[in-house]
Amino acid sequence: MTLLASLHAALVQPFVEFGFMRRALVACLALGLSCGPVGTLLVLRRMSLAGDAMAHALLPGAAVAFLLVGLSLPAMSLGAFIAALAVAALAGGVARFTAQREDASLAGFYLIALAGGVMLISLRGNSVDLMRVLFGSILAVDDAALLLVAGVASASLLLLALVWRPLLVECFDPGFLRAVGGRGALHHQLFLVLLVANLVAGFQALGTLMAVGLLMLPAIAARCWAHSVAQLSVIACAIAAACGYGGLLLSYHAGLPSGPSIVLLAGAVYLVSLVVGTRDSLRARFFTAHRHRVA
Amino acid sequence: MITLDNVTLCHRDRPAVHHLSGQFAPGSLTAIVGPNGAGKSTLLGGLMGRIAPSTGQISLPPRLAGHIAYLPQQADIDRSFPVSVLDVVMLGHWTGPGRLGAWRAAGAVQRAQAQQALAAVGLAGLERRAIGELSAGQFQRVLFARLLLQDAPVILLDEPFNAIDERTTADLLALLHRWHGEGRTVVAVLHDLAQVRAHFPRTLLLAREPIAWGPTAEVLQPGHLQRASLQATHWEAQAPWCEVPAPAVPRVAA
Amino acid sequence: MTRRPNRRQALAAAWALPTWAAAQTPTARLQVVASFSLLADMVAVVGGDAVQVHALVGPDADAHAFTPAPADAQRLAQAGLIVVNGLGFEGWIDRLVRASGSKAPVLVASQGIAVRALGQQVDPHAWQSLVAAQRYVENIRAALVAARPAQAAAINTRAAAYTRELAALDASVRSRLAAIPADQRKLVTSHDAFGYLADAWGLDMRAAQGWTTAGEASAADVARLIRQLKAQRVRALFVENISDPRLVQRIAREAGATLGGTLYSDALSPPGSQADTYLKLMAHNANTLLAALQPGR
Repeated sequence: MTLLASLHAALVQPFVEFGFMRRALVACLALGLSCGPVGTLLVLRRMSLAGDAMAHALLPGAAVAFLLVGLSLPAMSLGAFIAALAVAALAGGVARFTAQREDASLAGFYLIALAGGVMLISLRGNSVDLMRVLFGSILAVDDAALLLVAGVASASLLLLALVWRPLLVECFDPGFLRAVGGRGALHHQLFLVLLVANLVAGFQALGTLMAVGLLMLPAIAARCWAHSVAQLSVIACAIAAACGYGGLLLSYHAGLPSGPSIVLLAGAVYLVSLVVGTRDSLRARFFTAHRHRVA
Repeated sequence: MITLDNVTLCHRDRPAVHHLSGQFAPGSLTAIVGPNGAGKSTLLGGLMGRIAPSTGQISLPPRLAGHIAYLPQQADIDRSFPVSVLDVVMLGHWTGPGRLGAWRAAGAVQRAQAQQALAAVGLAGLERRAIGELSAGQFQRVLFARLLLQDAPVILLDEPFNAIDERTTADLLALLHRWHGEGRTVVAVLHDLAQVRAHFPRTLLLAREPIAWGPTAEVLQPGHLQRASLQATHWEAQAPWCEVPAPAVPRVAA
Repeated sequence: MTRRPNRRQALAAAWALPTWAAAQTPTARLQVVASFSLLADMVAVVGGDAVQVHALVGPDADAHAFTPAPADAQRLAQAGLIVVNGLGFEGWIDRLVRASGSKAPVLVASQGIAVRALGQQVDPHAWQSLVAAQRYVENIRAALVAARPAQAAAINTRAAAYTRELAALDASVRSRLAAIPADQRKLVTSHDAFGYLADAWGLDMRAAQGWTTAGEASAADVARLIRQLKAQRVRALFVENISDPRLVQRIAREAGATLGGTLYSDALSPPGSQADTYLKLMAHNANTLLAALQPGR
């Protein structure tokens, strides 16, 4: 077989032949597109762990919805969304009106939410329900999940384009935003809504534990290659999309579970970026050429 | 005309500004001086509407709402954030002549205006530099360029020349004078009394209580300065609750 | 290593002993703890009012992902007989029995059946074959008679009647299956739990995953299965009550097969529903399979 034909067979054929591969790829690409900018903002706002905390806060909402309605995607997504928003709102409120800082209040509320979710499930359901709630499968993306993911991605990108400027300014110069009447608190809440929406969409596709991986790892890896916010977002999108594609192919050719393949591939990209990236990397630190310009 | 009427601004139950009354006349150039902890930055916050007065009232003419330009202390800005000098200056268009607000995209005209502002502060050519790579003096010039672009009728500056080299200070003081000449109301919190004497026609000497407010030469007399430094700069743990509506302020003739 | 009983253990023993002793008297009902709902049902049918049965893994629950609660250890400690499936089905039972300190005999219900292998390991789902089930009943009967010799006659009668019912069902299914040609008996489920059933009734059943529900499928497995389904023109796909149905639906959609209904593999359905006893479960499974395989569907 010629090189081109064998490349085609390896890289393109699986998606041509199987509908589930195409759907998985579309879901990954859509998620990657919106996770890029959202993850970048999370990293820049030093909220990298807040993504994981919010992912755990989804659980009681999904649990309640599952126990009330059954395995219904819209119900579980709605429940998860509401629960996470509630945790974010409560944490923000406590941080604003008491002396507690936001990371402490977020930790407090997400732990309550997580334990509450586990308690609910073990009282009324049993262990297998917990697993099913936690791990979606990207290979089983049905029409409803695909619509959800694509819808959330489109809405996120649109909303981000609208509020990009105040969101950025709120990150590094909130005083200026206040001075021009820019309503920083509103944009902060809007950002949290976007974050929760992307997490809920991701958890349907990859499961709560891995949704955060696709959100954070590409954005963190991008820091080793670019500096401006726009570049960071684009590179994060590209890494997320590439890892989705590559992870699916790994799962197809090597028989590995699909979700972990994608996230571990993103992890590998991160490690490689740490070592050989063009900035903020080990290479930049230890192996730059020692030349300087004239003063 | 910005009028303060018996204004008290508090942090919890401790006053940072205690029963202040007075006016900032339109087109005036005023320095606010006083010991550390005297409430000067807090007063600027009150003028901006960020802190609500516990007593009294701050009156601004309606046309000024949202058109007050504010220079924060540099420490309030996160310089590790990956934005360029031009991005920061372009923010001036939010309320400036471009009136871009939060959403509208900037065009070539706005970009050219931003570059002119950068040139006016002596930073032409540094548009693409990340703000984290600038020195303190350079970054201060960037913030001044943003103020230039905002084209606001009232400009508040919080310690604008802290840790800035002489050359930059001189250049920026020239800008302040230019604004004063254009009829804008400028209020600056400062520490260097020599600077104040040389460049600012009016001064408010504040040590939580207002000590004196008026022409600089009369305000910065030794008697007033001594009173200001005597005013305790520490918080007294069990100070009695305040019952006095408004103490007498030695209002020096304008 | 010898254990010195400390005060707390002595207190616990002192409290448990009268209860346990009372339960062991020849006339009291025998406390039986079965590992999961199917076994509990069998024991209840054979034991009748001579026993009181409790299942550790209840209806509609997944035995592979079971986490014991303190109440379970307590029940084991007070039991007169413990019935497990064996063949590696309950990975957690040995430790639980040891931790509970129970003195009760443990019956491995699958003793003596012809085991089949799946990959490297033994397939534990032996109850899916009605032939093997008759062996289960025999083992249970022997253990119950040993524990309650006074009621041996009643126990033996019930066991014989039950065995007849199982055999009758088996025969009925085989005769109905005989009408379907061998090459049209191709089925796929989402769980590899029906190996014994397939062998016993001559069906060709394949699965999308391994037989534990803890594993996650890879794209390669799914692709392979879809290829097979398409190539062999498999008509029906089945979803069982405790694993992810979405994956099976996706495979069915893509392979052009239809979903044939729910098959019950590892657990009874809740009381009052269609598969709440072992007999009803096997009958339901058989009817569902036969309905899907009818020619012309």
